[in-house]
Amino acid sequence: MKKKLNHLKTFFSKPYNVLLLIFLVVLAYLVVVPLFSIVKDTFIVHSAEKSRVRQAVGSFTLYHWNRLFVSQYSNSLLYEPLMHSLICAVFSCIVSVLIGGGFAWLVTRTDMRWKKVMTKLFIFPYIMPSWTLALAWKNFFKNTAVGGAMGIFTAATGIETANWFAYGAFPIILVTGLHYAPFAYILIGGVLRNMDANLEEAAVILKTNRLRMFARITIPMVMPAVMSTIILVFSSAMSSFAVPQFLGLPVRYYVLTTELYAALQGTNPGVGYIIAILMIIISVLIMIGNQLLIGKRKSYATVTGKSANVSVFHLKKARNIISLLAGVVVLCMSVIPMISFMLQSVIIVKGDYSLANMTLDFWIGISKGGNDIMDKAGILINSDVWKTLFNSIKLSAIVAVGAGTFGFLAGYSIVRRRGSKLSRIVENLTFIPYLIPSMAFAAIYLSMFSQSHGIIPSLYGTFAILALIGTVKYLPMASRSGVNSMLQLSPEIEEAGIIQGIPWIKRMTRIIVPIEKSTIVSGYLLPFVSSMRELSLYVILVTANNRVLTTLLFMYDEKGWDQYSNAINLLIIFVVLLVNFGVEKLTGASIEKGVGGSN
Amino acid sequence: MPTIRLENITKKFGKDSIAVNQMDLEIKDGEFVSLLGPSGCGKTTTLRMIAGLETPTEGEIYIDGELVFSEEKGVNLSPDKRNVGFLFQNYALWPHMTVYKNISFGLENMKWEKAKIDARVNEICETMRIKEYMNRYPAELSGGQQQRVAIARTLAPNPRILLMDEPLSNLDAKLRNDMRAELKRLHMTTKATFVYVTHDQSEAMTLSSKVCLMKEGVVQQYCPPLELYGEPANLFCADFMGNPSMNFIQCHGKAHEKGIDLNCKHFAVRFTPNHPVDLSDGEYVLGIRPEFVVVDEKGSIEGRVISSLPSGMETTLSLAVNDVTFSAVAFGSIDFAMDSIIHFGFSGDRYVLFDAKSTKMITLGSLEVLSV
Repeated sequence: MKKKLNHLKTFFSKPYNVLLLIFLVVLAYLVVVPLFSIVKDTFIVHSAEKSRVRQAVGSFTLYHWNRLFVSQYSNSLLYEPLMHSLICAVFSCIVSVLIGGGFAWLVTRTDMRWKKVMTKLFIFPYIMPSWTLALAWKNFFKNTAVGGAMGIFTAATGIETANWFAYGAFPIILVTGLHYAPFAYILIGGVLRNMDANLEEAAVILKTNRLRMFARITIPMVMPAVMSTIILVFSSAMSSFAVPQFLGLPVRYYVLTTELYAALQGTNPGVGYIIAILMIIISVLIMIGNQLLIGKRKSYATVTGKSANVSVFHLKKARNIISLLAGVVVLCMSVIPMISFMLQSVIIVKGDYSLANMTLDFWIGISKGGNDIMDKAGILINSDVWKTLFNSIKLSAIVAVGAGTFGFLAGYSIVRRRGSKLSRIVENLTFIPYLIPSMAFAAIYLSMFSQSHGIIPSLYGTFAILALIGTVKYLPMASRSGVNSMLQLSPEIEEAGIIQGIPWIKRMTRIIVPIEKSTIVSGYLLPFVSSMRELSLYVILVTANNRVLTTLLFMYDEKGWDQYSNAINLLIIFVVLLVNFGVEKLTGASIEKGVGGSN
Repeated sequence: MPTIRLENITKKFGKDSIAVNQMDLEIKDGEFVSLLGPSGCGKTTTLRMIAGLETPTEGEIYIDGELVFSEEKGVNLSPDKRNVGFLFQNYALWPHMTVYKNISFGLENMKWEKAKIDARVNEICETMRIKEYMNRYPAELSGGQQQRVAIARTLAPNPRILLMDEPLSNLDAKLRNDMRAELKRLHMTTKATFVYVTHDQSEAMTLSSKVCLMKEGVVQQYCPPLELYGEPANLFCADFMGNPSMNFIQCHGKAHEKGIDLNCKHFAVRFTPNHPVDLSDGEYVLGIRPEFVVVDEKGSIEGRVISSLPSGMETTLSLAVNDVTFSAVAFGSIDFAMDSIIHFGFSGDRYVLFDAKSTKMITLGSLEVLSV
């Protein structure tokens, strides 16, 4: 008995044990319990469904499962959106890998021009909100048939764009693929850059010709990076909401996420919860596939040799034309969308891009008291917009501090107790939110926190639920970078402090934190920026009194107030770039660097 | 007859950094030549230029009588046309191919027949004792096994010239010793020309038939290893070879018809050259290998033992004569008490006289203590 007590005492005398236990309890409540809650929710009648199910609210029903899987509506509710999601995800992967990987090869292995500028601009979409390119696409190519007014392209050329070109699968694939092309560039480029040049030199000495070397040495070496790009892009595309909403909805092209949104907003949330569960299952399957694919036998750990100067492939005559082509693609991904937002935010009558039709009213015009777009105050002097901006920043800051701090502490305690069961469980728990697509995660929280549980009141419609979901959702980002950096820090560094009798708090604040400064800062920066541009996580949890910028943009877009949505989009991009730039200057840590390890 | 000849080879990186400076070198058929020197001396660059992996800025390279590179004539044969084998420091095994595939890949490139490839891979794996690992991936092998695979891959096409870039530096001490013996045996059996880059002077000493010692891109001395050890061309060569390193004593010399009397701060010696040379009064450096500091009760110089490091076979000593420290080697299993006073003297004719100003060796000779 006494022995056991002593055992417990030793256990709790270690701060990281206490931390791990706290994380275990809290994460179990915030991550695991909601999963059960949402499953339960697929079997009961919700108040919005009273009339269609004809049963008492809260009673048991198989209505949702029947309707989704085996009814006459199954096709349009489930199978078609699922097909669409899969098609878009698969082809987006191809676009990303081809463009990002091709660009990576051009940058690392050829004498293409303007590499420095181009790489900076190429990363741009990664920093920007995911719908940036979709919105730009709409600005350029919308047609009068569906979009109401014509886009810049039609105005400039007189050619009316076809529906398939302006909306639906084609632009969704292209835009999603381009948005995630930076992933491919960073991952594949990293391998190409760090790949031991000796591996290729050894092949040259053994008389391998260029084509065979590319096919048999270079491609297999980058294959793991290509695979992780595909996994990343596939799961991101599957869970992407804004792009299919902006580009698919006008022609009723639904994917899983937009269907989920429609179901939760409409009269059948039960169906939405099932779709959310489906999305989680797909996501988990992808991860399992990923684990299986990473063969244990071939280790690709690159032992770098001393020869760093790989021979550059000379493009010769094609040099200028390829550089120019790459330049155009890069501009289309970075600068040109910005121009379209500016343009769209200043025209009065949609579709007319003449100078006479331009005004700064939507930016700085004073309110005329009405409730139409022409009467509202410009966004820079509009108190509602300022309130929303402030709300966005407040939310993102809280989320950043929460996710960053807890993530780092989780990383610390996980690494300190590495090998133990407790540590493994907590590590897996912190990883679960990463597996759950944002919108499905929001659906879970909607299901869990729409009623009160014991001492915890119903959180629906509060700011607290947004802060909570953001913190939990971005925890994996921070905790994984925390784990990675703590693994590189030998425990002796802390043990040297223990021997001298320095208490834990002081060890953390005076030894560990200063050493891990840049990790911690990027652990704050990543969630902040992600939260600033997050839409799908917040859109179904936000209510009128706690809007954030992204949902405001979404609302204006739905209303067709393009000038405002474009102006607000610029505002979001501005804030994100400002924060990114500021932190980069302050600490030297940058988002791009975080991509390889923490995502 | 694969002879390698470098004529006036210069390699610059960028504008100012000169890796190799006007190098002339001839490596004869069947030799085992080590390119030796401290890091950054240009030895690896030289090797890579021979292979064609690096392009010289100036000069000409001939392999087997054929001009493979000439800056002037615009000749630059690509590495695959130079018929050399290259062994990389980090092995550069392809991680996504099995051992078998790693070895057969090059043979396939040379359009060998399948049966012949199979026979050759089996044969070379037998030689390198890696037959049981043929179906493994490089990550599943130990460092020593990876090294053997790398050697097998390089040797499989029967190259007449084998270039090796510090191939043993990633192995632990015991394996390194085994592999040294193995390399020497391979040199015998393949009868190929070996060019070997290393920064380890004992490796160069033990392996090669000739050593090319380099410093800052310039060849210091090119000769058989024992000659390099015994008759170093200058102070750098003398200092680089041997462990513990040579004792250098600054002294002032007064020449006479039999030799020169050297006044060395705490003692004076008479240096008698082995062969007659012209000597004049001036500043000199006397070079004494530790094994020629002879510990002997009858020795006329007194030294205090600062450290004594017995290794069993011999004992390395540091002896202080006032403020001058001597390294000495005493053979046999003996130990000396710290701070004890012992006597030593000089014998034999392997003492080296250097010119203090030019640092060049003048001659070898014998020593006789004049006064203490």
